[in-house]
Amino acid sequence: MAEGTVSLDQLVDWLARFRDLVTEKQSYLTELDSAIGDADHGSNMTRGMNAVMDKLGAAPAGAVDELFKSVGMTLVTSVGGASGPLYGTFFLRIGMTAGPVTELDGAALSAALRAGLDGVVARGKAEAGDKTMVDAMGPALDALDESLGSGSDPATAAAAAFDAAQRGRDATEPLVARKGRASYLGERSAGHLDPGATSTAFLFQALAEALA
Amino acid sequence: MIGIVVVSHSRALADAAVALALEMVGGSPPPIAVAAGAGEGVTGTDAIAVAAAIDEVASPDGVLVFMDLGSAVLSASMALEFTSTDAEVRLSDAPFVEGVVAGIVLAAAGASLADAAREASSAMTAKNAQLETSPEPAAEASVVSNGAVDLTLLNPLGLHARPASMIVAAMGGLDAEVSITDTASPERTVSAKSLMGIMSLGAAGGHTIRLEASGPDAARAVDAIRVMAGDGFGELE
Repeated sequence: MAEGTVSLDQLVDWLARFRDLVTEKQSYLTELDSAIGDADHGSNMTRGMNAVMDKLGAAPAGAVDELFKSVGMTLVTSVGGASGPLYGTFFLRIGMTAGPVTELDGAALSAALRAGLDGVVARGKAEAGDKTMVDAMGPALDALDESLGSGSDPATAAAAAFDAAQRGRDATEPLVARKGRASYLGERSAGHLDPGATSTAFLFQALAEALA
Repeated sequence: MIGIVVVSHSRALADAAVALALEMVGGSPPPIAVAAGAGEGVTGTDAIAVAAAIDEVASPDGVLVFMDLGSAVLSASMALEFTSTDAEVRLSDAPFVEGVVAGIVLAAAGASLADAAREASSAMTAKNAQLETSPEPAAEASVVSNGAVDLTLLNPLGLHARPASMIVAAMGGLDAEVSITDTASPERTVSAKSLMGIMSLGAAGGHTIRLEASGPDAARAVDAIRVMAGDGFGELE
C-alpha cells in the first residue's frame, strides 16, 4: 500500500469496526432513541451492519464502488428505520463518487465522504443544528478536510474527524429536534443526545481506528 | 387506471387502510401494492421493497404512493432511484388513512394521476370541515332557480364517504361539471368530482342537496346522482 492511501481492506475493516461498535453500544443507542424517538436505533443499526458484514462475507467486493454499493443497498433493505435510507444513501454516494478503484488517497477519501454527506442532507433535508446525524458528520468532514489540507495523512485526518464528530454529537444535547421522529417532541427533545449523531460518532471512531 | 402503492411501517396498518378503502370501491379496484415492514416481523420500511411495489403496479397512467411517516417518506423517495418503470410516480403528501382511501377510490373511478394526487392532498379538508361548529339546519330549502336540481338525502347518514365515492365514480366517464351544495349551509359548494369536497359538506340524512350542472353530459350526470340518491345510495332498509 502506498503511503497516505486507504486500501480496500481498510475500508472493509472500517465497516467491521462500525458493526462491532453499534453492536457493543446497541443498548445505549436504543436508550438514547427511547428518550426522543421510537427506541429502535441500536437494534436497527446492529441488524443492518450485521447484514452488511454477512453480505460482504458471502460476496467480497473487488473495488470501492462495488463495496459501498453493496453496503448501501443492504442497509436500505435491512435497517427498517430512517437510518436505513440515510446511512444507505451515505454509502451509496461514497461508492458512486469513489468509482472502480481499489484504494483512495486523502483527496479521494474526502471527496467520497463529502458526497455521502451531501446525499444524507439531500435525502433527509436536514441542516446543521436540526439535531440529526448531520450535526456530527458535517464537523467531522470539515475537520478531515482541514487536516488533509495541512498535509496530514488520512489516518491523522480521520482521528481529527473522530474528535470533531464527538464534539458535534455532544453539541446536539441542548438542541430542539427539527427533523425525524424526535421533532414531534418539540422542546422536550432538548436535553438528550441525538441517537443518529451518536451512531455517526461511532462511524468516525471506526474509521479512525481502521486507518490508524 | 393509476396504480396505488401503500408504504407503512406496519403490514397490519397498511392492509387495514387498504381494506377500509376497498369497502368504498364498488366495481374493479385499481392495482394496489403494499410495501410494509423491513423483513421478518421488523417494524420499518424498505426502499427496495417500495421500488418493487411501484414497478408491480406501474402502467402508463402512473403510480401514486402513500406513506405513513418518518422512514416511510425517506424510503419512498429513495425508492425512486431503484424503480425500473418509466411511468410517472408521485409521492403523496396526504395524511395516510385519508390519502389511501381517497387515492384508491379515485383510482377506481378512473381519475388521472394529477387529479388523484390533488384530491388526496386535500384529504384533510373533510375532517377539518367536520370539526368546525356544525351549521344550523335551514328551516326549509330555498327557492330553486336556473335549472338547479334539489334532492333530499334519504339515507340516514347522508353524503358520508361511501355515497361520496359513488358520486365521484359516476362522474368519472362524463363530460360535465356538477356542483353540489348542501342547502342547509349554502355558502359552500363543491365539485361532484371531489371525494373530499363532497365529504366536507357534511350533508346529513334528511338534508337537501342542490345540483347544478353544465357541459355536454350535464343531464346524464344529474340523472345518475338522482337515481343513486333516490335509492338512498343503497343504504335504505
